[in-house]
Amino acid sequence: MTSGDGYADQAAAAWKRAAAARERAARAEDSALRHDAWAQAPGQELHEDMAAALRRTAACHRSSAQLQEAFARRAGRWAQGGGTPPRFMTGVAEACGTRSAALTLVDTAQSQLAVAASDELAGTAQDLEFMLGEGPTRDATTSRRPVVASRAVIETRWPCCGPALTALGVREVAAVPLSTSDSCLGALAVFDPRPGLVGTRAFADVVGALTRMVLLDPDADPELYGGTDHRDVVQQAAGMVSVHIGRPVDDALALIKARAFALSVPLETFARGIVAGDLSLTSEGPS
Amino acid sequence: MTTPRQQLAEIFVELAGGNPDAPLDAPVLLSALAVRSRELVGARACGVLVALAGADSGEAYASDAGARDLVLDAHHRGSGPGPYCRLTGQPMPRTDLRSPVARQRWPHYVPRALDLGYTEVAARPLRGREQTVGALVLFGGEDQQLTEEALEFGQSLADIAAIALLRDRELHRSRTLAGQLEHALTSRLTIEQAKGVLAAQRSLSLDDAFAILRGHARARQRKLTVVAREVVEGRLRL
Repeated sequence: MTSGDGYADQAAAAWKRAAAARERAARAEDSALRHDAWAQAPGQELHEDMAAALRRTAACHRSSAQLQEAFARRAGRWAQGGGTPPRFMTGVAEACGTRSAALTLVDTAQSQLAVAASDELAGTAQDLEFMLGEGPTRDATTSRRPVVASRAVIETRWPCCGPALTALGVREVAAVPLSTSDSCLGALAVFDPRPGLVGTRAFADVVGALTRMVLLDPDADPELYGGTDHRDVVQQAAGMVSVHIGRPVDDALALIKARAFALSVPLETFARGIVAGDLSLTSEGPS
Repeated sequence: MTTPRQQLAEIFVELAGGNPDAPLDAPVLLSALAVRSRELVGARACGVLVALAGADSGEAYASDAGARDLVLDAHHRGSGPGPYCRLTGQPMPRTDLRSPVARQRWPHYVPRALDLGYTEVAARPLRGREQTVGALVLFGGEDQQLTEEALEFGQSLADIAAIALLRDRELHRSRTLAGQLEHALTSRLTIEQAKGVLAAQRSLSLDDAFAILRGHARARQRKLTVVAREVVEGRLRL
């Protein structure tokens, strides 16, 4: 078995999705032109709004195509035995001028359900939020507004999570909600992005593209083509600990999070220890 | 005195400037549109036919119950000014319902329309993104003839209806998808937790725990997620 097994297919599929996204962009542009024509008639201002909305949609599809193409190139290189294993989020991070970006999906209570991270820093940052229950992603999904914080603000705004983030070397974080017309799926968090990124059209298009790729497009895949982590091991460990301590699973999960953070052990490593039986938790402490 | 043009502008503003976060109630809006269209263009009656791609049956909204039934029946028969507009995407010009040509073209439609007091009819397509999604049908009477201006407004009104429909459909779709996604993600989480619970309770491997969960769900024809939730919440011991 070589490192590239299956990745040639992945690359081909991504090229196909990119072409489909370009087609969708072209169709939206065509529709925008028709509304432009209708907007020429008096009293037809609504068509101007429609044309503008369609152009925004087209831009999201183009951004989507670019992200798929970046992923396809990475998967293609890997299939030929070069580069690093492809992660969809790597291309998203690059589009934001950084190496570290994470897409987090949340439930209606704003709890993290799944995370796709471009690199270790982004993944660790999302674990910190998951363990501590505060941070930029949570603020972005709760307020449904973009959150931008530089080093000093990070440490004061999130007293537990903030210092841990800056200790990772994060100097600036931006988190933007992934919203549909009436719900919030999650957020995109970027670490040390290109200066002035938030508020640019290009960034809004990346966020819009991700929303479509996760949910709205005909070929949407919330697994981000294999890049999404559901923290299965952590949930398995929570189930086991709930039996060990005779408490509800939510309490067990809270205990695991608190213990892992206190011991500065990565959450997944800690959970693996529990699942493997190397570590058992009591309400007092690890034994 | 406001002109029809100003009233039309008001409807546009209402729709375009309306709260984008507030869900749009398409049936209420389309009914209101039919009533206001009749007033606005001074028609005898006005109906909106909606037949979205993929939907089995069409829906009709109108200023009068008679017009509603007529528009819907024409759609089901696939014959009449509304179906013509919807299928071709072309406007149906003003047609005298008392002419023999009209009666020959729409043998079922014309007698019913005349019974309702409609002497002429015209229709405009509801232009969707990629195809026509319905039609706006305007009826004139003996004392309420359809004017050229009325028909000019007809297309604008049809466009409003089409935009309202598409917005409503997109909202509905994204809401459904978001709900499905959350359900899929939480189900997975619950199943993993249940594996952990069962593995600890019976000193099993996670794979064996999963096999028992799945076996139980299959044997009793229950959803795996539901069984998993009961195990996690301690309501079911396997």
